[in-house]
Amino acid sequence: MEERHLIPESGVAADQEPSQEAVEVVNRREVRLRPGAEEKLVLQFMDSLNSYLSFSHSLSSTLGQAWMELASARHSMGTARLNTSLLDLKFHPASTTLKIAECDDDSVDAKARFVLRKWISSEEVGEDEDSNSTKSPEPADDDDEVCYSQVRRERAKSLSVFGILIPPKLRAAQQSFERALETLVEMANMQSSFLYSFHQLHQEVEDTKE
Amino acid sequence: MYGFEAMTFNIHGGYLEAIVRGHRAGLLTTADYNNLCQCESLDDIKMHLSATEYGPYLQNEPSPLHTTTIVEKCTLKLVDDYKHMLCQATEPLSTFLEYITYGHMIDNVVLIVTGTLHERDVQELLEKCHPLGMFDSIATLAVAQNMRELYRLVLVDTPLAPYFSECITSEDLDDMNIEIMRNTLYKAYLEDFYKFCQKLGGTTAEIMSDLLAFEADRRAVNITINSIGTELTRDDRRKLYSNFGLLYPYGHEELAVCEDIDQVRAVMEKYPPYQSIFAKLSYGESQMLDKAFYEEEVKRLCLAFEQQFHYAVFFAYMRLREQEIRNLMWISECVAQNQKSRVHDSVVFIF
Repeated sequence: MEERHLIPESGVAADQEPSQEAVEVVNRREVRLRPGAEEKLVLQFMDSLNSYLSFSHSLSSTLGQAWMELASARHSMGTARLNTSLLDLKFHPASTTLKIAECDDDSVDAKARFVLRKWISSEEVGEDEDSNSTKSPEPADDDDEVCYSQVRRERAKSLSVFGILIPPKLRAAQQSFERALETLVEMANMQSSFLYSFHQLHQEVEDTKE
Repeated sequence: MYGFEAMTFNIHGGYLEAIVRGHRAGLLTTADYNNLCQCESLDDIKMHLSATEYGPYLQNEPSPLHTTTIVEKCTLKLVDDYKHMLCQATEPLSTFLEYITYGHMIDNVVLIVTGTLHERDVQELLEKCHPLGMFDSIATLAVAQNMRELYRLVLVDTPLAPYFSECITSEDLDDMNIEIMRNTLYKAYLEDFYKFCQKLGGTTAEIMSDLLAFEADRRAVNITINSIGTELTRDDRRKLYSNFGLLYPYGHEELAVCEDIDQVRAVMEKYPPYQSIFAKLSYGESQMLDKAFYEEEVKRLCLAFEQQFHYAVFFAYMRLREQEIRNLMWISECVAQNQKSRVHDSVVFIF
């Protein structure tokens, strides 16, 4: 049985009295739309939350592995070759940046999207500033082979503060931390998504109460 | 000259050989390592080490402990032992003991130069230097812009001066040049140490030749594996290998052209002493190679104590202590990161 309750339409004056038949048609339409939209939002919320929890678990194990690989590299190279006092304090451009994609919607509950751009060289920073694409380290096309070799060079350059002849363990640690960073960004996106869904659901519930 | 060391060695070396054998008896045993591997925190490790020779060095350290603190304090024990032996030694033992520290001196030089290149504070870098490799003018390294200045301003008055002849250039120091300098210096040092031991003759020459040859071969393998996928050319790689050892010269020729770990394995398996090392690894894997090499080294170092009246026991003791400190570092890291299941990945038992 359809519920009959007066829901004020926006822009309708409070003292106007629409016919009962019009109100019932409006009510039936709103009752048909709201469950579908709500279910979609609930599913989005649950999916995002589930993904967030999976990423969180994955991050924990990836970081644990990365720290152990770093300790293993330190054990192999010695503390003199791998310590914080070798990190480069000279000014140099960041090899990895995080961009928060701007949304056209100015409302508070607009969903933010985080885009990680890894291993970008200093020459590319100006050219690709407006691009939203995340560069993958494992491209498939021929043109992307150039990109892949550039990524390898950037990785080697980043580790060169500890020397040129570094063991595979240190490279493995670098890749593990890289994966951890990607997971963190995915977690941020999932968090943004489920917070957005939650806010929308909350709005729906508030609207229902009114 | 064999056979006559028993008559004359104890005149100058008897006391110190007794001292070093006493120190050797103080190395941690398997039971000690089993206790340490079961610790839940770094304070537990400190408590277990308080019953060992490291006790006096750690007892005043406040909690919470850090793994680097444990390593630093244990290294102080090694330094104290070394300094006591050095100040009691006469020639040629004193020169032999000094040779043992030149590797650390090279590491310290490279640390200061690299840190200065990265605009780090000199005092901060000096704190990270290994105490066995310190010399008076080490802080002056920070002013050098190229290797020629490095040599002229500082290193000409150090024991490393003779090793610089092959790497003096006027090129500015960068990461690649520094790496080549490090390996060239170490190569020259090993060759010089080897020649010195050969001149000493007798049991010292016999045992030290074996130990230094193993060190040279291990370096060659590590340089090969670490240079795969880098800008180091084959010729540059070949120039970094030492001119002695079991792999010299044919093994070096084959290693110079290796492009992956499996090719390195194929080369090394032709040499029976290294066949057993690489047999422990699965194909394509290099993670456990370090442990396999350390285990082989420890075996050879322990064998050095089976003979008397030679200097190799001093070298063996220093290296065994360094291995012990590496073990403690690894155990501390596993405990601190709550990864005790990984503790046996890199611990090498000495006894």
